[in-house]
Amino acid sequence: MNNILLLEDLPQIRAWLKNLVLLVFPGARITECSRVHDALAHVSSGLRFELALIDLGLPDGSGTDVVAALRDAQPEAQSVVVTIHDDDEHLFPALQAGAFGYILKEQSRELITEQLTRISQGEPPLSPSIARKVIKYFAAQNQPAATAMPEVSLTERESEVLLRVAKGFTLPEIGVQLGLSRHTIADYVKQIYRKLNVSSRAEAALEAQRLGLFRR
Amino acid sequence: MIRHTLACQVTTPGNDLRAICRAWGMALALVALLAIGAATHAAPRLLERAQAVALTPAGQPDGAPPRELRLPHAWDARWPGPGGLAVYRLVFEPQPSDGDLLGLLIERACSTLTVSLNGRLIFWGGQQVEPVSRQCQQPQLVSIPAALVLPQGNVLELRLRGYAPGEVGSATHAGGLSPLRIGPYQSLVAGFKQRTALAVRLPEIAGGTLVLMGGFMFVLGWFHRKQSYLAYFGALMIGWALILSQLWSTDLPWSNRHTELLLATLVGFVTMAAVQFLMRYAGWRMRWLDIGLPLQCGVMALSLVVAGESQLHPVASSWYLVLSLEVLAAALFYLNQVRPRQTKQLWLMGALLVLIALALLTELAVRHWLLDARIGQLAQLVPALLLIVLGMRLVQQYGRALLSAEKGRAELEVRIREATAQIERNFAQLAELKVEQVTARERKRIAADLHDDLGAKLLTIVHTSDSERISTLAREALEEMRLSVRGLTGKPVRLADALGDWRAEVVSRLAQSGVEADWHAPGEDDVPQTLSARAFVQTTRILREAVSNVIKHSGASHCSVRCSITGGDFQLVIQDNGEGIPAALDGHLDKGQGMASMKGRAKQLQGQCLVESGPGYGTVIRLTLPLDRHVMPG
Repeated sequence: MNNILLLEDLPQIRAWLKNLVLLVFPGARITECSRVHDALAHVSSGLRFELALIDLGLPDGSGTDVVAALRDAQPEAQSVVVTIHDDDEHLFPALQAGAFGYILKEQSRELITEQLTRISQGEPPLSPSIARKVIKYFAAQNQPAATAMPEVSLTERESEVLLRVAKGFTLPEIGVQLGLSRHTIADYVKQIYRKLNVSSRAEAALEAQRLGLFRR
Repeated sequence: MIRHTLACQVTTPGNDLRAICRAWGMALALVALLAIGAATHAAPRLLERAQAVALTPAGQPDGAPPRELRLPHAWDARWPGPGGLAVYRLVFEPQPSDGDLLGLLIERACSTLTVSLNGRLIFWGGQQVEPVSRQCQQPQLVSIPAALVLPQGNVLELRLRGYAPGEVGSATHAGGLSPLRIGPYQSLVAGFKQRTALAVRLPEIAGGTLVLMGGFMFVLGWFHRKQSYLAYFGALMIGWALILSQLWSTDLPWSNRHTELLLATLVGFVTMAAVQFLMRYAGWRMRWLDIGLPLQCGVMALSLVVAGESQLHPVASSWYLVLSLEVLAAALFYLNQVRPRQTKQLWLMGALLVLIALALLTELAVRHWLLDARIGQLAQLVPALLLIVLGMRLVQQYGRALLSAEKGRAELEVRIREATAQIERNFAQLAELKVEQVTARERKRIAADLHDDLGAKLLTIVHTSDSERISTLAREALEEMRLSVRGLTGKPVRLADALGDWRAEVVSRLAQSGVEADWHAPGEDDVPQTLSARAFVQTTRILREAVSNVIKHSGASHCSVRCSITGGDFQLVIQDNGEGIPAALDGHLDKGQGMASMKGRAKQLQGQCLVESGPGYGTVIRLTLPLDRHVMPG
């Protein structure tokens, strides 16, 4: 983990996050910015990031745009949304834009450390309310109006995992129920997020085409 | 009131045809009856030979020798000349079978006569000076007591006052005498009554009916300009009744010439009414007819006045021809218009019009040639009957139209009421939606403000304070703030979803703290209920408080949470195997505040929270919430 982007407007929080990140990933180079404008500049500057911690509520825009830009420019980078809001209305768009996970800002240092580690190990978090929203999203996508894109519809396993998460089971419990390892379950969650992103981008592109924004 | 009257007269088209047939049948039966009546007079004798002498206007014989003639005798333009007086002399012999009272039946004596027997006046028919009684259509029956009859050589003198054919509009009113019948009075009476019935009674009744119905229809049509044909039909009926009145109105206060003029003008009026009726009934309104027809009436009247007394008949006859052709043309036009529409109506009207045409033709014939009086009377009665039938049909149509208009109006009212209710509903919905929108927007604004300002400050405290305790407090405050915002802006939550959220949080928190967690809740299909956002938030707080107590203070190794729905209540039981709440700590600020706040929150939701605890026993927290109080079903 060499290059990490940190986007947060409150200076104290930014300092605190920076310390935390250095704890988890010692030796990493941290690029700090406090505005969307600066972050976008950094994204397109050519510097390759492995991890980006992005706040949602910024003075000159939403962190979701940075997530989307990062996904476009550097698909291998993992963006993690760091936010106060825990409700799915704020988080879901970020996830659709390609965020890999989310962290709630006010949690204790230990918790955040643990979550960061897990995320970097490929285990993104998934809360029941987010899971419900994902289920609803993919159910709406299965309508005939949607274009046929087999790689963005959920497999049966993925749907099962989502359902159980929505019911409140933890990942280890799901692993026990389905007879799979925790790692496999985490892989499923990653796939779900990826498909969510791809599907959302396809939907957005379709909408833009319909509105005549694309000129072929 | 009108509705009720109309309802009584509603008949079906089939009934109309039957009514017409009935009318005709009656007429024919009447004729047959009269024929039979005429045929049964075998006993009376016929007197046909007479001597006639013309009189001067002063009433004296004109000096010419008496004429020998044969009855029936019709006057011509030269005999008996001006003055219109003539005397007929007949001789008869009494028979032994005559009995005590003889009768003399005079079928037709136009216009009026007096009868003298052997020089003595025995019968006076009517006025012989102007205005002359008009008794042309009525038979006369003279009773002759046997005491006045000589054994032989009885001379009957009939003094007749009448008019030359040129002076009257119709041959029926031209002067003349029919053959006489003499015989026993009783044998003549029946025939006389029958003839009188046909000549006088029936026309009176028909005339009265026509006037009544005509007046009624005229009023209907007057008030309903759209159906002006009714008014014209009413006028037609009244006009025809007036024409019919010539059959029974014998003594009028004005001279014969005036009567004849009036009658002729009435025919013009009736034609106008008939033509307009047919036109309007067909649905056409022609301006030139509206002006031309009354004008024609006036011209006709004028021409008759100008024509002079002796030329009345030819002028009137030519006018009648013209008028009949006009009516015929109008009838044909009507039939042509109705043809594409309804066939039942067509047949009905067609039949009626043909019958009336026949009657009119008969009438025209009667005016020119003197046929049996009965034919002329029938020719005038039959159209009256048909007019009445047609009138009833028109009224039935009108009634039906009225009923359907009422029904249409009622339907319209119902539809308007429905539409109004729909509009009101939509409006209420829109208003509700608007209020919801505004409220939601306000709440979002408050939430955003809270997050941005308060949340940011609390966050700073969490991460920059040195004291762990203060950080924790600030963290808890931030979580509380989030929950409050959720309670403020959140939509109702499905109970199944809430259970999922709670499970994830409780199990992971307990697992992180090393407590074995046990969660039991009903399956997703068994909980269709919904919780309001506020109820969800408060229950979440209670649950969090309870779990925090288990983690921080109980020292338990195992905690089970059971959710169930029993009898409309949501029940939550949290049990741990910890130390329990020491009695001494009951008054402690932290612990006591937690318990009190749990109980307070439960009470706010109209539920209750019971705590059982004891050293070595563990703690059981029982939360009961009624679901129907703050639940929106489905």
